[in-house]
Amino acid sequence: MKPRIAIFSLTSCEGCSLAILELEDQLLALLGGVEIVNFREGMTERAWDIDVGFVDGAVSTPQDEEEIRKLREHCRTLVAIGACACLGGVNTLKHQQPPLEYREYVYGAGAKWFPTTSARPLSAVVKVDYELPGCPMVKEEFLHFVKCALTGKQFRLPADPVCTECKKLGNLCRYEKGELCMGPLTRAGCRAICPAYGSVCEGCRGLLGADAVAAAREVFPARYGVPFDRIADRLRLYGAYQDDGENAISGVLQPSR
Amino acid sequence: MTGRILSHAELIELIDLLGASRRLIGPVRRGDHYFYEPVAGAARLALDAPQCVYSPKSFLFPPEETLLTFEKESGRFVAQPVLHDAPIALIAVRPCDIHGIRLLDHVFAAPPGDAHYEARRRQTFILGMDCAEPCRAEAFCADMSANTAHLGFDLMVARLAEKLEARATYAIEAGSETGENVLAEFGRGRAPGAVDEAARAERAARKRQAFPKRLRCDVDELPMALQRGFASKTWAQTAQRCYSCGSCNLVCPTCYCFNIRDDISLDGNCGSRVREWDGCQLRDFALVAGGHNFRSDPAQRLRHRVMRKGRWIQDRTGLPGCVGCGRCDGACTAKISIREMFNALAEEAGHDGD
Amino acid sequence: MTVIESMEAGVRTSPYVSTPARVLDVEKLTDLETLFVLEMGHGRALDHRPGQFVQAWMPGIGESPISICSSPTRGRAFELCVRRVGEVTSHFHRFRPGDELGVRGPYGNGFNMRSLEGHSVVVVAGGLGLAPARSVIQYIIDRRDHFDQFHVLYGTKTPADVLFRHDLSLWRHSALMNVMVTVDRPDEQWRGRSGVVTKLFADLPPLDPDRTSAVVIGPPVMFKFVVIELMARSLPADRIFCSLERRMKCGVGKCGHCQINSEYVCTDGPVFTYERMRSLPEAI
Repeated sequence: MKPRIAIFSLTSCEGCSLAILELEDQLLALLGGVEIVNFREGMTERAWDIDVGFVDGAVSTPQDEEEIRKLREHCRTLVAIGACACLGGVNTLKHQQPPLEYREYVYGAGAKWFPTTSARPLSAVVKVDYELPGCPMVKEEFLHFVKCALTGKQFRLPADPVCTECKKLGNLCRYEKGELCMGPLTRAGCRAICPAYGSVCEGCRGLLGADAVAAAREVFPARYGVPFDRIADRLRLYGAYQDDGENAISGVLQPSR
Repeated sequence: MTGRILSHAELIELIDLLGASRRLIGPVRRGDHYFYEPVAGAARLALDAPQCVYSPKSFLFPPEETLLTFEKESGRFVAQPVLHDAPIALIAVRPCDIHGIRLLDHVFAAPPGDAHYEARRRQTFILGMDCAEPCRAEAFCADMSANTAHLGFDLMVARLAEKLEARATYAIEAGSETGENVLAEFGRGRAPGAVDEAARAERAARKRQAFPKRLRCDVDELPMALQRGFASKTWAQTAQRCYSCGSCNLVCPTCYCFNIRDDISLDGNCGSRVREWDGCQLRDFALVAGGHNFRSDPAQRLRHRVMRKGRWIQDRTGLPGCVGCGRCDGACTAKISIREMFNALAEEAGHDGD
Repeated sequence: MTVIESMEAGVRTSPYVSTPARVLDVEKLTDLETLFVLEMGHGRALDHRPGQFVQAWMPGIGESPISICSSPTRGRAFELCVRRVGEVTSHFHRFRPGDELGVRGPYGNGFNMRSLEGHSVVVVAGGLGLAPARSVIQYIIDRRDHFDQFHVLYGTKTPADVLFRHDLSLWRHSALMNVMVTVDRPDEQWRGRSGVVTKLFADLPPLDPDRTSAVVIGPPVMFKFVVIELMARSLPADRIFCSLERRMKCGVGKCGHCQINSEYVCTDGPVFTYERMRSLPEAI
């Protein structure tokens, strides 16, 4: 029997869900291997017996929290897709202001009708089995994940930085242009798409690990005259929640409040 | 004096002759930088390019290549190796990169030969371009005896008159039978005369002066200096700022380490084994399945690279492990310099010896 | 499942293509380790030396380097003891008799058994190290009159980790050899000895240091302490043979993962004399 998969969205632009539809030519092959049973962006049916549930978006409202707990119950395997679901994403930028202030800014006089919580990755609320990071998630990585699920292959995120992919492509390093790229600190898997198209890596796939962060603390102030705080500010763009145990960098990017 | 003297126009014609039966690959200008790229004709090439950002290694040993494909046929997997042997001509390869290719040749030819590399290499024509002066501040090719190549090319070109490119003359010499045959087939240019002899001698004299010494020890002393510095504090001190990003490995013309992974189709019926560049500076390079990482500390990894480049490859192959091209120094965003490490260790060894 | 190489005539073969090997028998040894009895396709012998390894391939999943745990003196079939530690080895544990996997090799130098002849041999194995050691042990049993005293010292963490119980029991009751087994952490049922493997050295009879060789295979932490014991008995460093483990992808001295300084464990090793290891600071 084909695995039953479903795709859901919490607070986000839902771009990661859409990335699945953008698989286009591979979509039919994908549907040969799996059955999509619940996907608001792509179909009207709703079913709740789910083998693998993919969720994009951050937990940013009380409703999100309720929703993700429910999804966890209905999905045998829960996969966070995209920077918001994995790291909190751009939603966490709101933490830099007091809650009432950003709510009034967004909702105006009706702010009290729109309660929000701090923005968090799924893993802050429920157990997450796999994460496919990126803004948006890398659709080829999604496909690879599905292949692994179908063939019993183990899925692992790359443990190397973006630089490895950038160099293999033969790109000109952004530092040669005098730009500060986050590639050396950031998890590969995106095929270095930003540097390949002429802009710096902003770290949307998350920090690689404690060693790289420690190196950055040495390098930026001493070699480029840039305080590490400014680098941390930039890394916060795609998620202040980069404190999973494996990376052991708890709190590095949490804004001090 | 052997070889021929070619005008600029004749050199272009010669390269186009090579291109008639081979894919031409040579330096192309992109903004302020040069890259080895396939071109339709010699006119597109920047023959006087100082140094390309990457060595031409990737045309012999691609960053990612399929070694074999497999497919299920009546319940059994049938595997088929994939070999590429389309003829190519690498144009204007600098001596440092020729030394790099010689090391790759040595490693991949050692029994059992790597059929994938060898298939490409057998069909590769190399036209070298000698350097009259260093191309960048980080380069210490002369210290590593790699700013001149006597072997490892089919033809070697040295530009004699260093004025306007269109009016330049070139001394060209064969380094292989294939190269000699190409020169004979081309039949153009002229035999060198006394004037050319003088120009070449003058160029050689200028070249000897043009490369400053950038290592604080002789290349022959380097292996011993490194060995004595095995327990040096330099490794840990320098590694504090190492990201373990592997950029130094990936731009190095002598780095040849790779990983092999399996790819599989959605239905599990076919797939491939793919080789991709790897690097000893990456965290998991020496990690075994049981979870033990034999070089878990960035300082151990840094030492491994520097010792290999400065000593261990030479011990094993008799060829330089570092050609002094300076690309790793340039690629390191943490500004770790192999030349500075060599120098620091040579200095420590010198003090120890006092 | 099998792996067949098809190839156009005249093209040199790729060293990365496997030959099919058929599973003849499967025996569960512990919760983690399983023994596979295999035969190369076309019925040819693997033609290996004790201490060598193969690259075993599961198409689509990957390859894993695995030591051969049987002696070439035991006929055409060969045996692999596979510990379920990574993805590839986990897949191997699903193999049943009749299944096929891809095999490249044998690789590595292995032990030069001829050079041990005429000597007393002390085999010291820790944990999964008994697998490659078993290849040496079987070889010596089969050529027993070529060797003098024969001691096997084996240590594991717990009784549940003890491999090749059936072999150990046969060996223990055999007059051909002296076998001692110890566990670091005994349980209530364990009637054997306890403590680290080096404690067993106290019960070794005197050895003639000029005519004794040692074979040492185990986890990295074990080597240092075992070598101290052997050196204390005046064994020369060039008569202590150790087999090392490293990450390996190609098995043919190219990919670089198994490098220790200038050495490639896959081609220069996995067997090194302690004399050589002393000059390789990262070896242990």
